[in-house]
Amino acid sequence: MENLTVAAKKARRSVLDLVYGANDSHIGCALSAVDILVALYFRVMKIDPANPKEPGRDRFVLSKGHAASALYAVLSGRGFFSKGALETFAKNGSSIASHVTHDVLPGVETTGGSGGHGLSLGAGMALVSRADNAGCRVFVLAGDGELQEGSFWEAMMFASSRDLANLTLIVDRNMFQTWSKVDEVVAIEPLVEKFKAFGWDVDDVDGHNIPKLAEILTKTADRPRVVIAHTTKGKGVSFMEGSGDWHNGVLTEEQYKNAVKEVS
Amino acid sequence: MRNATIQTLYEEALRNPNVYFITGDFQHVREKEFIALGARYQNAGMAEQNIIGLAAGTALCGKKAFVYSIIPFITLRCMEQIKIDVCAHKADVTVIGGGAGFTYGTCGVTHLAIEDIAMMRALPHMKIVSPSGPAEASALMREIVRIGGPAYMRLNKKGEINLHNKLPEFGKGMVVKEGKDVCIIATGTILAEAIKAAQVLAEKGVSVEVVNMHTIKPLDANLVKERALSRRLICTLEEHSVIGGLGSAVAEVLAEIKGTSRFQRFGIPDEWPNVTGNQAFLRDYTGLSGEKVAVAIEKLL
Repeated sequence: MENLTVAAKKARRSVLDLVYGANDSHIGCALSAVDILVALYFRVMKIDPANPKEPGRDRFVLSKGHAASALYAVLSGRGFFSKGALETFAKNGSSIASHVTHDVLPGVETTGGSGGHGLSLGAGMALVSRADNAGCRVFVLAGDGELQEGSFWEAMMFASSRDLANLTLIVDRNMFQTWSKVDEVVAIEPLVEKFKAFGWDVDDVDGHNIPKLAEILTKTADRPRVVIAHTTKGKGVSFMEGSGDWHNGVLTEEQYKNAVKEVS
Repeated sequence: MRNATIQTLYEEALRNPNVYFITGDFQHVREKEFIALGARYQNAGMAEQNIIGLAAGTALCGKKAFVYSIIPFITLRCMEQIKIDVCAHKADVTVIGGGAGFTYGTCGVTHLAIEDIAMMRALPHMKIVSPSGPAEASALMREIVRIGGPAYMRLNKKGEINLHNKLPEFGKGMVVKEGKDVCIIATGTILAEAIKAAQVLAEKGVSVEVVNMHTIKPLDANLVKERALSRRLICTLEEHSVIGGLGSAVAEVLAEIKGTSRFQRFGIPDEWPNVTGNQAFLRDYTGLSGEKVAVAIEKLL
């Protein structure tokens, strides 16, 4: 399989191409998630790009549906479909929207983009997988901002009360929501203590260290597990990193060219 | 009708290992038996947004999920989950809601369920059934299990009587009383008031047909069109707001055809009643009892 660093570089380049090509936004939050997705799809998850509907596959739910460009870039890099299949991304008349949509591209399990939905979907999948002895793990990737949604905590309570040990939540902790710092808008900290109090196994990791991510995400516990992935919004592009401007920001041609140089 | 519906669902669950049933802390008649089914039954507590997501998650793994609670909580409370998690995925999820209209009238505005049909009708892929009694509810439950979700089933509570002995056909209006002058199209248990109005008017020489529109979406538009061209007056009767429910659905059909007869909606005005009371009291208070509907129709003729 491809070198992980190369896979992540290619994925970042694809994200820039897709989003710039569509004159679209949500770049920073896609770039923060790329390494997590590479770890999952290139190392951790039991998936087969040639057989994307294999019943025994692990399931992935992109709760932060606005990072669809990152998921699509990684799925294409992993061989689920060609990069060419993404040419119409978020363009008029295309079936591929900028927020994640199931049944449009192979390997995409769910539709989403409104915060706080993904963990409940994942819990339902984990419940079925365990009941059917299917041996599937379920991974849900959430943004940190969407933890402000109450529905998330409903799902947190349910998952631990049913000991859904095959369910793993990854929080892309890039510290920003739409244009401000999450904890300055409505604080979600202390996160570790909150997850522990809700009965979850908690771990954290550098969200840009792919081998480490793979190691941490491969581990399971006797209950649902959350991995807080410390990330940088806009990772890989210096003028985006740690800035609140690239959730809704749209690239100019010059910025696009500079960004491409940096991720190549 | 809740008991009949849940009993039927239980029988279906015994036959079909893919049936999952998730309740929101809402008691029902077959709780012990469902618990014996293991993971396929979940009382997921007072957390309706999560319940809908869970159900959709199970459906995305090939299951047939049914969720159950009181209408306001399992529809409006988690509307966006129904839109995205259920409808956008065309997930095989059926929302069963108890307490239609004024069923819990004395509980006040939190428990009134008079906007649910409007909300559900607006969602693509959503099917809506609104049975008039226990036998019909059972039959429609079997239909829904066969056809699959997304679907919404609107129920009252218990003790309702069967208003007819016909078998409902999903998506088709049912004539429960023949008549040639006026057609009243009703949905849900308030069908009883439509039948009463027809009886009152019959004594005055007015021949009233009563149609049971147990399926609201898809609406039997052919039946509506045919009646609109062959009766002097066409009415709808529902225990729901006049905005967005059966009356609106029928009006939408009528508005797009030429030369229709006069039309009148009977439903709850765009306001919550400013008094409390049981179902019979509030029906009468809002002008939806058979007697008041009969008086109103007589004036229109």
